[in-house]
Amino acid sequence: MTISHDVLVVGAGLAGQRAALQAFRSGVDVGVISKLHPLRSHSGAAQGGINAALDPKDSVKDHIYDTVKGSDYLADQDCVEILCKEAGPTVIEMEHMGTIFNRAPDGSLDRRAFGGASYNRTIYSADRTGLALLQGLYEEVGRDPRVRIYEEWDAIDLVVREGRVQGVVALQRKTGKIEGFAAKAVVIATGPAGRVYGKTTNSHESTGDGCSLAYRAGAYLKDMEFVQFHPTCLPHTSILITEGARGEGGILRNSKGERFMERYAPHFKELASRDVVSRAIVTEVKEGRGFPDGTVHLELMHLGKEKVESKLQEIVAYARTFAGIDPVVQGIPVFPAQHYMMGGVSTNSRAETNIPGLYAAGEAACVSVHGANRLGANSLLETLVYGKIAGQNAAEYAKKASASTLGPTDIDAATSVVHQILERKEGESPAKLRSELQSTMDELVGVYRHPDDLINAVTRVAQLKERYRSVVVADKSTVYNLNLMEAIELGHLLDLAEVIVTGALARTESRGAHVRTDYPKRDDAKWMKHTLAQITKEGPSISYLPVTVTEYQPKERAY
Amino acid sequence: MTQVTYQILRTDGQGGAPHFQSYVVEIGENEAILTGLLKIRNEQDPTLAVRFSCRQEICGSCAMRVNGKSRLVCSALVGSETKTHNNVIRLEPMANQPVLKDLVVDQTPFWDRYRSVRPYLIPDPANPLPEGKESRMTPEQVEQFRETPRCIACGACYSACPAVGSDPDFLGPMALAKLYRFTVDPRDGGYHERLESIQNQKLWLCLRCNLCVEACPKDVRPAERIVDLKRLANQEVGVRERGSRHSVGFLTNIEEGGILNETKLARQSLGLFGMLGQMGKGIEMMRHGRSLKKHPPIQGVSEVKAIYADLNKPEDVKGRERPQGKGVKGGQS
Repeated sequence: MTISHDVLVVGAGLAGQRAALQAFRSGVDVGVISKLHPLRSHSGAAQGGINAALDPKDSVKDHIYDTVKGSDYLADQDCVEILCKEAGPTVIEMEHMGTIFNRAPDGSLDRRAFGGASYNRTIYSADRTGLALLQGLYEEVGRDPRVRIYEEWDAIDLVVREGRVQGVVALQRKTGKIEGFAAKAVVIATGPAGRVYGKTTNSHESTGDGCSLAYRAGAYLKDMEFVQFHPTCLPHTSILITEGARGEGGILRNSKGERFMERYAPHFKELASRDVVSRAIVTEVKEGRGFPDGTVHLELMHLGKEKVESKLQEIVAYARTFAGIDPVVQGIPVFPAQHYMMGGVSTNSRAETNIPGLYAAGEAACVSVHGANRLGANSLLETLVYGKIAGQNAAEYAKKASASTLGPTDIDAATSVVHQILERKEGESPAKLRSELQSTMDELVGVYRHPDDLINAVTRVAQLKERYRSVVVADKSTVYNLNLMEAIELGHLLDLAEVIVTGALARTESRGAHVRTDYPKRDDAKWMKHTLAQITKEGPSISYLPVTVTEYQPKERAY
Repeated sequence: MTQVTYQILRTDGQGGAPHFQSYVVEIGENEAILTGLLKIRNEQDPTLAVRFSCRQEICGSCAMRVNGKSRLVCSALVGSETKTHNNVIRLEPMANQPVLKDLVVDQTPFWDRYRSVRPYLIPDPANPLPEGKESRMTPEQVEQFRETPRCIACGACYSACPAVGSDPDFLGPMALAKLYRFTVDPRDGGYHERLESIQNQKLWLCLRCNLCVEACPKDVRPAERIVDLKRLANQEVGVRERGSRHSVGFLTNIEEGGILNETKLARQSLGLFGMLGQMGKGIEMMRHGRSLKKHPPIQGVSEVKAIYADLNKPEDVKGRERPQGKGVKGGQS
């Protein structure tokens, strides 16, 4: 059976829902498929806030400059300009939709300091800003039942034929049935792929499905080697402790009691950009100034119980529950963990990919507005600004496009791949392969990257991909077969890991979050360009794309 | 690390009878119950179905019953159960919703109730949103939301609630907490119609058992917001529904004599006609030696009246320009 929509959005987090809302408002018929209920999306886990130069004393220009500097000059400046100009209207729109933000005493939107920002421009909702925005947007989308959301449907194939997108084939978790979703335009908004790593702040469902489906269908992936490690995560669980904690005045200390960030970033200290703070923490621990459990401490005690418990309510609960630490009286042990992929499906400022009719937005996409390192509180902003742009342009495209030709042969092709996995009697367990992939990435492709490790990682990922060809699932049922889903997701993780390690090995410089021990300096003459990866039978084929510079020529980056 | 037995109610979702299956897991007491479930899935039995994603109490996927109580297993720790339950963790799917497979339920009834409260801002023609600017809201007005913005819609409260299970009219704790969140929102124009829509069994079937408060991993305290809604509904819409009349009757009764006058309360709650239907019960009560005559006021009735006077004192409530008094006259029971 085939379901048909003008625009089909894959993913129902902030970017996906914003795209759907905009396409609907543009007058086309919209469907959204999501492997989770929309409110379970990983957007809801974002904590610290959303940047917007709303204060009259702040300026959009400063926001642009901070973002470009934070990106280590790899962001496309025309796209950053759109992001920052749209920030104010976007936040106000979300407020009008009903989002509950923290307020200043005069009733205006309260703001907090954030990393890499020259002004307090982070609008927030305690330390659950993602949840607040997700609720607001879901409520707005839910106002009109004509925006059809298909919950717990996993996209398993993206169909591109006759030089354009034709739709998606998806599997319903509840029944196991596989159906075609014909669409004139498709928006990929499937969020993060952090589960390529084991030590990640990302949710278990963050497996980069849409990103990999687009790649397999011929879309370019951009800048995948740029992986952000968030400086402050709980040990063992890698649960995120928001940058907002430092924005509210939290400080980092090593085991000698030193406020070590003074040495690494004399002006910004704890609020330097994330790549800088993560490297500082890794260096402190490596040089023997960490605590015995291999962490440094994030101290909030001096801020007072009331402030900590109200403005940082969620992370206080996390520290108490997951680490047995009370931040009101103790330092929180923290260490960097994978947090965000700067890379993704390559798009331009109109959210278009290289495939006609295919759009992408949010963490699954790479515009690029974050370049080599994203500033905190710019990702929520990006989901909404570029989600809206993607929805708008997908709708305009769909209005002019002819009907999709997605049909039974497409569904059969996708179904046979699933059946192959289901019918296999013996082979490799997806959980085991996933765990090996994750430890490979954790150990070999981290904050500091050694050439030998990267070469090793390329080999190991290739071996895992080979073993994946005989992946087997124990669950053969059609109802809620999570074992099957994790096998399919593992395929996505492996494809994306291959692109990450290939790009990282090729880029012989250090820029933003990509730091090569053998090439410790940024090399603008050679590497002021985006990495593009396209799928071939032999693996990713790498090419490069110039960076758009409008106003800010690259200069040395100091915090 | 200790050995813990996970007893999991398995349902194949294809018509087979549910049965418990036991797994022994090596796990630390300070680890989440979910961690043990993932160990089982990864190392022992990949066929086990369970919803999970964020593992940090924010996506709301992994609510289920743990040794009979509805909890979110990513933040419920192993040690909280093993000590009291002899190293056994019994896991069953949430109650009040059909089971799809193992620990996964079909949440449709839960979401239907949520959607029925119109969970979005209703425009207020008298107070339009300022164009191109944010609406103003003081920190005190934000306080009025209480903890409702923390709700992650996990459904633990819905699973714990005895009233949703027994009566399809009752909206349940999460939907009512959500309705409260919009009712107190200064941007919302639906104040009256929202309260009007629930001044009936949808609201008053709450038993005040507080199981939702106990189940909620985010401390949203739905039962307390339900009490607020009852008070606001009585103030705004009037005391007209059986439950609300009963609550006000209770209050005035005690205020008058310091003791319950059951005959009068029945008349207040049910009306004269309604009382006729209860005659059998009245006769039964008298046969068992229960006097239905009015009890004279108790000795310390003046002190009772003083308490009422104190409770009814108007309070300074900043924020919304609507009656927000904490007085007991509205009735809350």
